[in-house]
Amino acid sequence: MKMEEIEFKVAPESKIRKKPSYIKPWLGLKYLFKKPVTIKIPYEKTQIAEKYRGFHSLDWKKCVGCNFCGQICPARAIEMTWLEVDGRMEKRPHPKIDYGRCTFCQFCVDVCPTGALGFVSNYMLTTEWKEEEIQLYDWVPIHPDRIREINEKFPDYRFPVEKIEFDRETKEVAYHLRDGEIFKFRILGYGIRPPKPAKPVKTGEEKK
Amino acid sequence: MMVSQSELVKEARENGMDLLPLDKDTYELFFGPQHMATENFSIILKMDGHRVVKAIANPGFLHRGFEKLAELRPWHTNIALLLRICVPEPDVPEAIYSMAVDEIIGWELPERAQWIRTTVLEMARVSAYLFWIMGLSFKLGVYTAGQWAAAYRERLMALFEQLTGARVYHIYTIPGGVRRDIPNDAWLRRLRDTVEYIKGKLPDFDHLVFENYITFRRMEGIGVMDKKFALAEGVTGPNIRATGVPYDVRRADPYLLYPELDFEIPVLEDGDALARALVRRYELEQDLYILEQLLEMGPPDGPYKVQDPKLKNLPRFKVPAGDAFAHVESTKGDFGAYVVSDGRNKPYRVQIRGPSIAHGIRVLEQLLVGARIADVPVILMSLDNCPPDIDR
Repeated sequence: MKMEEIEFKVAPESKIRKKPSYIKPWLGLKYLFKKPVTIKIPYEKTQIAEKYRGFHSLDWKKCVGCNFCGQICPARAIEMTWLEVDGRMEKRPHPKIDYGRCTFCQFCVDVCPTGALGFVSNYMLTTEWKEEEIQLYDWVPIHPDRIREINEKFPDYRFPVEKIEFDRETKEVAYHLRDGEIFKFRILGYGIRPPKPAKPVKTGEEKK
Repeated sequence: MMVSQSELVKEARENGMDLLPLDKDTYELFFGPQHMATENFSIILKMDGHRVVKAIANPGFLHRGFEKLAELRPWHTNIALLLRICVPEPDVPEAIYSMAVDEIIGWELPERAQWIRTTVLEMARVSAYLFWIMGLSFKLGVYTAGQWAAAYRERLMALFEQLTGARVYHIYTIPGGVRRDIPNDAWLRRLRDTVEYIKGKLPDFDHLVFENYITFRRMEGIGVMDKKFALAEGVTGPNIRATGVPYDVRRADPYLLYPELDFEIPVLEDGDALARALVRRYELEQDLYILEQLLEMGPPDGPYKVQDPKLKNLPRFKVPAGDAFAHVESTKGDFGAYVVSDGRNKPYRVQIRGPSIAHGIRVLEQLLVGARIADVPVILMSLDNCPPDIDR
């Protein structure tokens, strides 16, 4: 096989070469009289892009629990969770997102067939390294309108929940939102299949 | 007179040196991975005084097993993984993987998607070159220019943020096009402003870095690479252009919109660190020129990704059996991906050809021999080594 000859447009050498100079480096001094470009974070506010890929939001009524988000997730951060709100079990499971694993690729938002899963531009993951603050970043996202309301009050791109309380015995979860509201529900189980009702515990005497 | 190892160590400790002496004159020095110049990469240097006698590259600190992990995840999900192979320009691994998958399926990209992909690749090149100027000027001791480069790169990052939704890991190019459309005309205007702004600032970089006598004293005649040696080792990109070989993937194997664009390829014969730096400096200028041409062309109308019902169900997205190789010109060199599919919803094999493995291990070991210890960071930076793509 004959190789095809390609013509490259080569730049003339005179354009590429530079001459060493002793005086020109001093021209950088003119920047001493210009304003700095740096921003004093956190004292100055930064502007985030409108569609910044931040934390998730979830419309619980729209979510059909299809687990597409769990299948596409590259970090396997999504776990389907069965919930009970005000004593009524949700018909379908909802995704629980662990931000310890999440890569913020938002493929889960792309695949959501009903548009229930969305994202907001909040992105701050920093904490003061308190135990309860670290537990924050594993949640079932709340309604986007609710997050937007909180963002209007606190425009600092932080997580919309202040504290998450989890009772291990009753499996009851309470989200303390930043504007003071408390949002309570119960976790019944994990997985795509609905949780089985708890079996009565057999005592040793019955076996005999 | 024979001196025992323990006595040498004792003598070194007494003199306040924390070194590993080999014999009376030579000692072993571990360079990196904490050192700023090496970027998660380590070199074991055998030193005689301040001269390097032997250098042994010691990679592997960033090994995450990308190629194996890619076999376990659905097609689209791999984008979020593979872009971590090259941190300064993550759009390149995204683009090669997507191009290879497009070729297997046989998709014709819409014109708008091609335009956006070309623009994103060129923006990534400019931002990677600014990042490189930052690194180089830090190693030369011209910290001012490095700070400027970081500040100008920030403008491109803001543009990326508006377009893709993220600053560093964009996760933007997917098989079949791109994930989002251009937000609005204001974005295009802002890109034009940024290109003009950076172009106006290039003379400042020349004054401080590329025309500075200190740069010439530090880089001229250091780390000379032979043309024959470079070709035998498979070096690509600006490094081989600095040895006198005019090779550029954008011209040799054109992809996307590059056949329509006009740009020059800088070639120098010297093969030393200075030639490599000057070639990169001229390429930055050419990339800005390409961006100007693209903006003049304007994004064509039409869809920004392939209109295929397959793309609606991403977890069950299947690619027909076949294989394809795609490569692009990154700032480091020829970046390629070989993708094999056996018809499932996951790739059978993804092989990445990183440019840094060619010039980052054996070539580096050769170039460092005889160099002074202060030249080691300069040679490393002039090669523009990218450790994650060596380790993969």
